[in-house]
Amino acid sequence: MTANAKITADLFITCVVDQLYPDVGVSVVRVLRRLGVTVGFPTDQTCCGQPVYNTGYSQQARTLAKRVLEQFKDSEYVVVPSGSCAATIRVFYLEIFDDDTELLAEAKALAAKTYEFSEFLVNVLKVDDAADCGAGHEGTVTYHPSCHLLRELGVKSEPQKLLQSVPGLEQKELEGAEICCGFGGTFSVKFPHISEGMVTDKVANIQASGADTLVSCDMSCLMNIGGALNRQESAIKVRHLAQILDPESE
Amino acid sequence: MPEIKTQDFTAASTAAILDPKLRRALDRVAEGFHVARLDRIEEVTQDVWDGWKDQAREIKVHTIENLDYYLELLDKNVTAAGGQLHFAKDADEANEIVAHIVRTRNIKIVTKSKSMVSEELGLNPVLEALGVEVWETDLGEYIIQLAEETPSHLVAPALHKSKEDVAALFTEKLGIPYDEDIYHMAATARTILRDKFMEADLGISGANFVVAETGTLVIITNEGNGRLCTSAPRVHIGITGMEKVIPSMQDLSAFLRLLPRSATGQRITSYVSMTTGPRRSDDEDGPEEFHLILVDNGRSKMLADPALREALYCIRCGACLNICPVYSRIGGHAYGWVYPGPIGAVVSPMLVGLPKAKELPQASSLCGACREVCPVNIDIPKMLLDLRKKTAESPDSSLRSAPEIERVLARLYAKLMSSPKLLKMGVKFGRFAQKLERMTPVFSPLTTDGKWIRNAHIPILSRWTKSRDLPTLPKQTFHELWEKELSPDDS
Amino acid sequence: MPGTPKAEFLQSVREALGRENVPPIEAYPRLAETPSELEQQVAQMRQHIEDNLPALLDKLAKMAALGGWRVHRASRPEDVIEYIETLARDSGTANVVRSNQDVFNQIPLDATLTNLGLTVTTVLRDETTTRESLREEIRQSGIGITGADYALAETGSVIVLPRKGLARLISVVPPVHIALVRAEDLLETLDDLFLLRRLEYHQQGGEMGSYLNFITGPSRTADIEMTIVEGVHGPKEVHMIILG
Ligand code: SF4
Repeated sequence: MTANAKITADLFITCVVDQLYPDVGVSVVRVLRRLGVTVGFPTDQTCCGQPVYNTGYSQQARTLAKRVLEQFKDSEYVVVPSGSCAATIRVFYLEIFDDDTELLAEAKALAAKTYEFSEFLVNVLKVDDAADCGAGHEGTVTYHPSCHLLRELGVKSEPQKLLQSVPGLEQKELEGAEICCGFGGTFSVKFPHISEGMVTDKVANIQASGADTLVSCDMSCLMNIGGALNRQESAIKVRHLAQILDPESE
Repeated sequence: MPEIKTQDFTAASTAAILDPKLRRALDRVAEGFHVARLDRIEEVTQDVWDGWKDQAREIKVHTIENLDYYLELLDKNVTAAGGQLHFAKDADEANEIVAHIVRTRNIKIVTKSKSMVSEELGLNPVLEALGVEVWETDLGEYIIQLAEETPSHLVAPALHKSKEDVAALFTEKLGIPYDEDIYHMAATARTILRDKFMEADLGISGANFVVAETGTLVIITNEGNGRLCTSAPRVHIGITGMEKVIPSMQDLSAFLRLLPRSATGQRITSYVSMTTGPRRSDDEDGPEEFHLILVDNGRSKMLADPALREALYCIRCGACLNICPVYSRIGGHAYGWVYPGPIGAVVSPMLVGLPKAKELPQASSLCGACREVCPVNIDIPKMLLDLRKKTAESPDSSLRSAPEIERVLARLYAKLMSSPKLLKMGVKFGRFAQKLERMTPVFSPLTTDGKWIRNAHIPILSRWTKSRDLPTLPKQTFHELWEKELSPDDS
Repeated sequence: MPGTPKAEFLQSVREALGRENVPPIEAYPRLAETPSELEQQVAQMRQHIEDNLPALLDKLAKMAALGGWRVHRASRPEDVIEYIETLARDSGTANVVRSNQDVFNQIPLDATLTNLGLTVTTVLRDETTTRESLREEIRQSGIGITGADYALAETGSVIVLPRKGLARLISVVPPVHIALVRAEDLLETLDDLFLLRRLEYHQQGGEMGSYLNFITGPSRTADIEMTIVEGVHGPKEVHMIILG
């Protein structure tokens, strides 16, 4: 763990975690600190701009993206506990700024040091055993690979690898795991009937998995799935991967 | 062109999603094709598969970037082979060319093999108006022709019909006793169409590819109807989009490997029929005349737009439909025009005009599954996003996809998120709104149970809480927690 | 003739692309190949097939079976004839139609079939047979027998090209199709086939022939409820007999 003592990572915590799931952010901080990382948090940060970008409002997205470029320009690493927001920074910012050489260069520099949480643990900190962060979890867990993490960032094995090494944790297979949960940002309120259809199937598969907890690396997907689970009065809990790895998380 | 119903997307998809029969049919197709497709990839290995995909894409990129050149080469070689190439800038022109051939060649009976472009042109009604008998010969197309419907999938046009539907249709339209045995129904179609193949004077086919180097038209089928349509009648007309041209015959290898595997999970289809010109004097059979009609019909709009040009690489395999979580719930008809699914949500707006179909690009969660399966690596989500950009802020109000309020909210959101101070106030206001319920339950905008908002009585949020709960704002934001307990300055 | 004149159509394509009327900046490598280069590639391809013939024949048999052919391997012409005799007898048909390709000189089966009491029609136009009467004969036949111009190991396909004495309908119209494949018909891949055809195209002064057809397995559909039905418009039963 001392190997990471020299690593400094700034958190981009994302607006969803900031306002709705601060506990997830706390777990992220604890896990990183246990691994010896010096954690920073630029306090002017808000939102990466994804909700407006995905709805087609590129000007507004640009305004917010510029703030992120500014706030993290001196960071050594940027860690994001969301596949979707990490993808926005790494992939979509390059599209947003493709008409501006200077900002594009900044966006590329930021993209190069930005990591989604699980990716950062496995690929940068070289964690190959979740016990390194003191993790332990008694129970059955199934994993939902969120679409942007999987298909924009290509992060597939990292979260699985971490989960597999958590002492006490039993993984359950999720049928149709790679099918979208139906969140899709503003899609979920523009076409609630389709979104509902998608989340209903996701919930059915989760229930069929036999797991007591659903884990993912994106709180917005978990907000969608968790909201549907709660509506159906299911006892299945939803957790961010960081909460599973954090021994102090309830 | 056939009737455009893209404007009714929300209503049509809402109805479709509640149809359990449709859902079963969609599941059957998606499962069947998808699983077989994965098996085929595993068989050849992912690396080899990716290599084929890259090859195919490279060919498409090169051809489309130099499309005028290859169309000219194609024209030269179709002519050299004794055929005639016609260019049609829109549906009316294409239909008029066919009508002209029908009139001047005294055509009475037409057999057709599956062609999405002829659906796009609305060719059948034009032919019928000329007093010609028109027979769709692909079983799926035959079914929907009898039912007077449009295809609901690129490769399985009648997937939305159950065997009971088809049996009832056959009883009604053909006057035969009700029999829902699928084998019997296929045999019925065979018997009826067999005579038509032999009697027809004109065969109309689509084209999966046309080869510029040799002037060759390539069609890929499983039933054998394509071969009969193109070899039995005395005239053969191929109709396809201008983007279907590829440079060399050797370029076909990659596509013949990718298309059947992506479409139905077959290694190759039962028939690949390549025709070059009419029959030669020594041939034992074949048409006396060969015409190829290439249509633009809006394609040059995609060509002119670098952000959408890659939609022209599509080989209509349907894989993106089969994998799409939206398509697999609402089916093809909800999209309101000929081309459904993710690629349809790009192509239809470009062909029928964005103002009429601006809702389609919104109807995606941008999950990216379509891009992952596409055999020519088309970045469909990126194009959907591009169309969203074109509709969100357009100065032309006919293009704007959302009510004014959405633009106001987008601006407000950017303002709020640009100022940590404002955001803080916003969050405080939100917490206050949550508490309102306790103070004045009747006027509260939200019904909560402490942890969850069960019901929101305000626009947008109410659409969420119709089927899902929403977490309430916790007492503190991460910002607040950081300042209080987490910041290294505190410890 | 209605439609847009070529020059105008191509100009609109150029405008959409923002391109001048010039050849591609990077010439397409395949189209730049000379016939002698193609010849060299073909020679190499032939050599490769010769060197790997037994394995490739096995592969052909395997892929053909996966594609839905009923595959029969024979080492002598007599075995082929005997096998066809059985098929003909089992089919219960009275009429057989066959093409007039080379392969039937090597495998003379008419006498055997005639002895069974079958009428064998050979596609051979003369004063008395027209294309129309031929078509009727084919329609009446229970079995169609053809050779193969090529057989592709990669896909298990039989490839037929226009030859005098070969009507396409023989392999599509009768409910049973028998394809005779000899070792010398074998090619390995799709690339082999198209390479060879391109060379022939150039050698024949730009003549491709009116068709090039692949046959791989029976005619089939899954258009009703994804249930596979064989023998829709084409044959229900297809046999590939590999000699060699
Ligand atoms: S976009 Fe790609 S996956 Fe979809 S039909 Fe076209 S080629 Fe197939």
